[in-house]
Amino acid sequence: MTALALPDKALASAVKALPDNTLAANRKAALASFLDRGFPTPRLEDWKYTDLTAVAEISQRWLENGALPPSAAALQDRIAEIRAAIDIDWIVIGNGEMLDRGSLTGIDGMTIAAFSDIAHAPGFDHPLADLNAALLPDGLHIRVAANSTRARPLGLLIVDGADSHPGVAQARIRIELEAGSQAQFVEYHASLGDADHYANSVVELSLADGASADYVRIQGRDPKHTQTHRTAVRLEASSTIRYSGFDLGGRLVRNDLDIDIAGREATALVGGLYIAGDGQHIDNHVRIDHRVGPARSEQEYRGILGGRCRCVWNGKAVVHAGADGTDAEQSNHNLLLSDRAEIDAKPELEIYADEVKCSHGTTVGQLDDAALFYLRSRGLDERDAKRALTRAFGASIVGHAPIGLLTEHLTEMVEQRLSLLGDGIDA
Amino acid sequence: MLEIKDLKASTGETPILNGVSLSVEAGEVHAIMGPNGSGKSTLAQVIAGHEDYVVTGGSVIYKGKDLLELEPEERAREGIFLGFQYPVEIPGVNNAYLLKAALNAKRKHNGQDEVDAFEFLKLAKEKMAMLDMDPKFLNRGVNEGFSGGEKKRNEILQMAMLEPDLAILDETDSGLDIDALKAVAKGVNALRSPDRAIVLVTHYQRLLDYVEPDVVHVLSGGKILRSGDKTLALELEEKGYDWVREAANA
Repeated sequence: MTALALPDKALASAVKALPDNTLAANRKAALASFLDRGFPTPRLEDWKYTDLTAVAEISQRWLENGALPPSAAALQDRIAEIRAAIDIDWIVIGNGEMLDRGSLTGIDGMTIAAFSDIAHAPGFDHPLADLNAALLPDGLHIRVAANSTRARPLGLLIVDGADSHPGVAQARIRIELEAGSQAQFVEYHASLGDADHYANSVVELSLADGASADYVRIQGRDPKHTQTHRTAVRLEASSTIRYSGFDLGGRLVRNDLDIDIAGREATALVGGLYIAGDGQHIDNHVRIDHRVGPARSEQEYRGILGGRCRCVWNGKAVVHAGADGTDAEQSNHNLLLSDRAEIDAKPELEIYADEVKCSHGTTVGQLDDAALFYLRSRGLDERDAKRALTRAFGASIVGHAPIGLLTEHLTEMVEQRLSLLGDGIDA
Repeated sequence: MLEIKDLKASTGETPILNGVSLSVEAGEVHAIMGPNGSGKSTLAQVIAGHEDYVVTGGSVIYKGKDLLELEPEERAREGIFLGFQYPVEIPGVNNAYLLKAALNAKRKHNGQDEVDAFEFLKLAKEKMAMLDMDPKFLNRGVNEGFSGGEKKRNEILQMAMLEPDLAILDETDSGLDIDALKAVAKGVNALRSPDRAIVLVTHYQRLLDYVEPDVVHVLSGGKILRSGDKTLALELEEKGYDWVREAANA
């Protein structure tokens, strides 16, 4: 049906080879759905700028190699590094497997289980969720008890990679915050290894009445690796999510963040920073559905692009009929440091209600010449002056990330990423 | 220290400086006065190395070097400081970062050790106290949300930290209330020394009540029409710029 299908038989036998647990029947149904739809192609409006051919090709080679689970020798080193850098409790999904199951208990106010423990069947409402549900060995389920408050963030580390053969890994996390609960999460994506790799993950968050979540997603994949990631959030009455996403790595990255405002007085504050250099393609799609009002959503994304790269930002707010009292804002600002960098920025508002307040703004620009001259006139060389201004451009997003203890780490990661842009900054 | 000969400069197709000659020695304070559009700010920007202006003729020798060959940052490290007429707001780059980076760039250039965080803070607080500035300004973005007076004080703070050999202050006095004017004058007078030269670019005589110049020049139409001692400034205040222009045409 499409150029981006995977071979039926090989895929079916890869699914069959997975651990026989309560997910088995669900996998078969998800597989049928994926075989029917295949990967999304640029012919679809939502995928106009992102071509998954490379992802399909890695998956195909992975299947041809016997669909071996990915393995990277240094995985444990990377995990230890991240644990040392951010001192919080971590749950680790390594190469699609939940590692260290023993540590999943004993976290206050949270019940943590594998999908197979509680016979949870992950849904599949999108081709990439189909693929995820079909190839998922097991998922991670977290329930935050009603009215509980946890001061320390919980870390969710998705780390994978392959040394000798192409790798494909799935990860799936479902988080349910019960009424009146509060929690913080750090979702960290990392990868390593010399072989080509494709990671496909799905995270679902549901916030019951009055619940509140602070969520930071950090994507620091190896610049050779590819990722598709979907996050679906459902907000009930008076719940609040503060979400920041940082995309600092990866060769081909596509993130979808879908937020469904299902209850009155809910608030969604989302933002992100993407930094891309030579050879990178980073696509962030955000969609917020205001089904009821009053409710408020804000999107604030920034991008820093150097070298030959392409980024996509598509922010959409849909205000459904009857969602009066909606307040939806979107902003997207991009800094282009090279004339070979490309940004496709598209804010979208679809409004079917009467009493609403919506706004959007998008800018694409270069460093400010007046500021650059000012800094140079004080003795800073051109490179340092450009670096300072570039860092400043991203600093507001780092500053707004909802989990304070990450600020230092994020600042350092951004700094490192910017230093690697190096030659990608036009003189 | 600074020897400008027959300097011509333009922006785009428009000539602005039409042959400026000026000689400034160490230990001197010069005032360059003139009506709006006379080329005063352009002269200051050309000396600092702004790329919007193209030098079409003449020469600028600074401490025996061809200044026009140097990048703006090299000029700064060689001891030139330009106090901007309109200091730029740079959100996200804090004052402390800029001051420390600027100071260390210059020290490195001069073969001196860079200052550490402790020494830097001590020095910055000392200079801020002299200028009646709240130390909290260090952690704010460069000129971000500063009032006009705060921006100008911030320029003087940078100058005080960098201790330039040649300071050019471009209308630093404009738009200041009397307290800010006095603080600026205090900063400038503190810098006066036999080793340094200061050029005050100004529209009004007001600042010269507090910082006494050795030489006063009148710039008009991109040329210096007249030079004299401090009494020239008072005469200008009384008779207006037309008087100099008429005298020059006569």
